Amino acid sequence: MPAASAIKVMVVDDQTSMRAMIRRTLQDLGFRDVRDKPSAVEALPSVKADRVHLIISDYNMPDMDGLAFLQAVRSDPVIGKTVFIMLTGSSEKSVVQKAAELGVNNYVVKPFAPAALKEKIERVFGELT
Amino acid sequence: MQRIAIVQGQHAIADDPDTIITTLLGSCIAVCLHDAEAKLGGMNHFLLGEPEPQHRVRPEDRHRYGLHAMELLINAMMQKGAARHRLRAHVFGGANVVPAFGKIGTANGEFALRFLGTEGIAIGHCALGGILPRKVEFRPWDGTVHTSTIEERFAPPPRPSAAPQVQMQGSDMPDEYSHGDVELFR
Repeated sequence: MPAASAIKVMVVDDQTSMRAMIRRTLQDLGFRDVRDKPSAVEALPSVKADRVHLIISDYNMPDMDGLAFLQAVRSDPVIGKTVFIMLTGSSEKSVVQKAAELGVNNYVVKPFAPAALKEKIERVFGELT
Repeated sequence: MQRIAIVQGQHAIADDPDTIITTLLGSCIAVCLHDAEAKLGGMNHFLLGEPEPQHRVRPEDRHRYGLHAMELLINAMMQKGAARHRLRAHVFGGANVVPAFGKIGTANGEFALRFLGTEGIAIGHCALGGILPRKVEFRPWDGTVHTSTIEERFAPPPRPSAAPQVQMQGSDMPDEYSHGDVELFR
């Protein structure tokens, strides 16, 4: 069982309030190393320079959306296998399907409860301690 | 003139000069966003999460609904050509119309102001709090808004919010936030 405190996380969302809420949720779940960026354009070089174990990214963002971000991560030889969880709106099934094709590990539909996020993370990493 | 009426859990956007978005508010909040350059606007209508006798919603969970409602509206605006840095907001509602619900209207208003402050979205006009329901009419094309308080018997009954939906295209609040009968803002 992996320790949440050992998992480095990058949260990407263009809304400051949403990033703060996700950060608080992760910290409540035991994650200690949580960094965040307001755009995929900023997050991509950051995770290349300082690798993380888990990327939690919104889909709907200007400039580079979550799908383009996922594609960029998956096509990178160094960070290509980083666990990627996408946050989507409730009516974006086509986005989820496209994300699955691109190799997303899991997705969470907003608005979500902390338990839902924990469950999606645990489906990838196993039960967290 | 086309009128788009939205209810709790919905939002609408429009860029047509002949369209008005309307709603009736009790303890709920309506945030009207306008981008003057894109001549585009939108309104949502949300409640953070209504406490029910059988199922109390924790405060932190209520905020998730508000966050989501605001995100849906902002995303819809941006997909139609609005720019986040140009957005200006008018905020209405948050009346404590049902004494049994305590200060839920106040909490809704505080959430809206805190959200807009955190996101750096300028607030134009704000009519929050009090005990009377409000009617809001928003012209998204130029950002003008007309609001009036109405008799309590015409107020929409609050109900719990689930995931907010797109309707169609297109502490105590200080007394100074609570306005009188009829106002016209730009």
